[in-house]
Amino acid sequence: MALRKSWAPSRRELLSSFAAAPAVALGASTPPSAPVAIARCTSYGEDQAALLRGMFDKIGGLGAIVRGKTVTVKLNLTGSPALRFQGKPLGSTHYSHPAQIGALVRLLGDAGARRIRLVESGYGTAGPLEEYMLDSGWNVRAIKNAAPNVEFANTNALTVKGRYARRKVPGNPLVFPSYMLHPAYEETDVMVSMAKLKDHATCGVTLAMKNMFGITPASIYGDDAGADEPNENPTKGRVDTCHFGKRQPARIAEAEVDSQSSREPGFRMPRITAELVAARPIDISIIDGIETMAGGEGPWIRDHWRGALRAVKPGIMVVGTNPVCTDTVATALMGYDPRAPRGQGAFRECDNTLLLAEQMGIGAADLKQIEVRGVRMEELLFRFTA
Amino acid sequence: MVRAIGLYLTLVVPVMAGATGWIPARWYSNDPSTLELVRATPVNCLVLESSLWSRAFGEQAAAMGVSVLGVVKPGDELADLTTRSAAAKLQGIVFEGVFPKELLERTTAMLRDSRLTVVELGPRTRMTLNSPGDIVATNQGVWPGINIADDGSAKSAPSGAPWIDTNTGFLRFVRSALPAGSQSQIWIGYAPPPKQVIPVNRYLQAIADAELLGAHWLITLDADLSKRLMAREEKAVDTWKKMTGLLGYFQSPGPWRNATAYGGLALVQDIESGGLYSGGILDMISVKHTPVRAVPRRNLSDGEMKQVRMAVNVDPALLDDAQKEVLRRFTRGGGTLLTAPPGWKFPPQREDQITLDKEDVKILDQIWREVNSMTGRHNLGARLFNVASVLSYLSSSDDGKRISLQLVNYSDYEIENVTVHLLGKWKSVKVRGPGKEDRSLPVFETDDGTGVELDRLGVTAVLVAE
Repeated sequence: MALRKSWAPSRRELLSSFAAAPAVALGASTPPSAPVAIARCTSYGEDQAALLRGMFDKIGGLGAIVRGKTVTVKLNLTGSPALRFQGKPLGSTHYSHPAQIGALVRLLGDAGARRIRLVESGYGTAGPLEEYMLDSGWNVRAIKNAAPNVEFANTNALTVKGRYARRKVPGNPLVFPSYMLHPAYEETDVMVSMAKLKDHATCGVTLAMKNMFGITPASIYGDDAGADEPNENPTKGRVDTCHFGKRQPARIAEAEVDSQSSREPGFRMPRITAELVAARPIDISIIDGIETMAGGEGPWIRDHWRGALRAVKPGIMVVGTNPVCTDTVATALMGYDPRAPRGQGAFRECDNTLLLAEQMGIGAADLKQIEVRGVRMEELLFRFTA
Repeated sequence: MVRAIGLYLTLVVPVMAGATGWIPARWYSNDPSTLELVRATPVNCLVLESSLWSRAFGEQAAAMGVSVLGVVKPGDELADLTTRSAAAKLQGIVFEGVFPKELLERTTAMLRDSRLTVVELGPRTRMTLNSPGDIVATNQGVWPGINIADDGSAKSAPSGAPWIDTNTGFLRFVRSALPAGSQSQIWIGYAPPPKQVIPVNRYLQAIADAELLGAHWLITLDADLSKRLMAREEKAVDTWKKMTGLLGYFQSPGPWRNATAYGGLALVQDIESGGLYSGGILDMISVKHTPVRAVPRRNLSDGEMKQVRMAVNVDPALLDDAQKEVLRRFTRGGGTLLTAPPGWKFPPQREDQITLDKEDVKILDQIWREVNSMTGRHNLGARLFNVASVLSYLSSSDDGKRISLQLVNYSDYEIENVTVHLLGKWKSVKVRGPGKEDRSLPVFETDDGTGVELDRLGVTAVLVAE
């Protein structure tokens, strides 16, 4: 059977699969579902606060979720800020966009968040996140001043006083039984994953869930992590430990459940992603597809089956409270079948993270079970395949 | 009245600049009409291959205040050089390449007797840094810019910044190795890579790479551009105007001109310990924007180390007892000193070599990691952010009341939002860029002093803090 290069539904199929179904009370074995808001936005010059506020209002409002809470916002700052795609600003290709971060911080402040902590594990560094952002060309002071009690944490190492927090993977773990994380993720009442709408060389797509892979500290899961103790000055990524399983994390963390399991990144990374989201649940997913890149998750991707990288402007925003539902809608908007099995569509060389997360009971990956609010999906469809 | 006449002469009669004031360019025609291209530009010294020497051209150039130098190469006939130079109205001779030393000395002496300027444009290892003439020059330079891989992408590690090919590390060393107070000008020759279309920005970067350190690139155009420029094609003339415009910016009066290198990191290095290489330790440190000054061992003194907080001694074995004692006092005073791995020495530099071999790069990489670990996040004069494609040079006025931070952007696009944290409290910071008025930047307090944000950086700009 020939593989489908991409999900290329007819208009009838599209309308049928996009047909909004109201969120229903699901049985115990049915994964949970939550509404997803989608909107058109063609430029970061548009009022991002108004855009996000309107989208949050469509899914029940922000205040009820964040008032009086510590809100942790996991940004997507993948790869070194020195690496630019065609010289473009990072926020226009593979990073979260600073204008949107500033707008979100302001909204969280307005909605009564007690503390807002922006986090990311900066590539190959344990230096302050603020400096990583400055290296990205961002106005950190403006972001910090957008609301009271804004903090920054580079979660690549133990950059604050305290201890790493162990987060157990509920149910049956797939790769690791638990994850040792920066304390910021433990001190979190509301977890926000602020992702970019992108293809991903290893996982097919990278959205709100895959963004959470970045919460693993390189001090423990990095290629230069200590064998026993964390390396608090990591300078490398996590490819050997996570993608290829060539080594185990520093012993402070639990080793793999099955060291004989497949070492193939397309097997491991979707599983690690899904179980990380199970271990550290996401409360709000924000996916920025206003401007992004297609063909891979960053400028370092080469020789991929998708072909050359492209800077694209899908003009899409997706917001939801259930990360699986939100990612499912986003995947469909990219022109991919969210339920495609391994070998098909976006998941040609990997397992489907959405289906794995659904099997773990995190959320529904079926468009028929997800209520989409805002504009009609077919109006926003942007095919990522060239 | 005398003053009025003097002014008149300045305005009307072209005055030929002395050799230390020359801004050189290779020229590709002896048609006197092409001299119009240099009129009202900073370029005032044209360098011609021997086949182009011409009395008519020389006379016209002299009438415009433009000096003409002739190039001779190994194997050229040198016997009647003085006569031929006079016939072509040359102001000097450029010896380009490797000549037998004795022959060169003899010919040079003869030319100097005839009041002709001599420029030795040879290997770096033959530069006379201890007793330089008006011009100290080399024809060995790397073509500056971001290193591009075969597939057109910038060469870099998955995590790292793009590697910038530059001569600035070498030029830093040369500047520091010249005798104190020397007025000698540094010229460096490098040519655009053949069979490539060279965008105008690459030419601007080539100019800026030398001018950042107060040196001059012997402007060399690619075959296509030189042909089109001599034919005065509109687009080629446009490119030339941009180039000379940038040169004009660098020659304009400013506090950074002739200022001394400033920064809390000193690299004790000499010719024997790799000072003449490109891609060496100075370049590696520069890429991290750590303000560093090269200190040849003969300059090692307590005074030289006064502002220094950290130092790297590349080859401890080269130091005499007095020099070692300076470093001992430096460390006793709280300074941090890093030395190269025991037993390791820089490989002797061949005449045809300007970059290091792969094996040596590996060892240098170890040293660089140590340096990087030592400097860490310390502010040794200035910390810069969002500058992966930028090189910088921090200098200070003699009284230390003003510092200048020059920036050169090697990418082909403008950079937005560069942040600079200057060490110490500075009341005002102004930015100047080519074709732009000085502009004050709002300053803000940082942990280590004073912060400023530069909204856009084209090819170059300078920040001046007071």
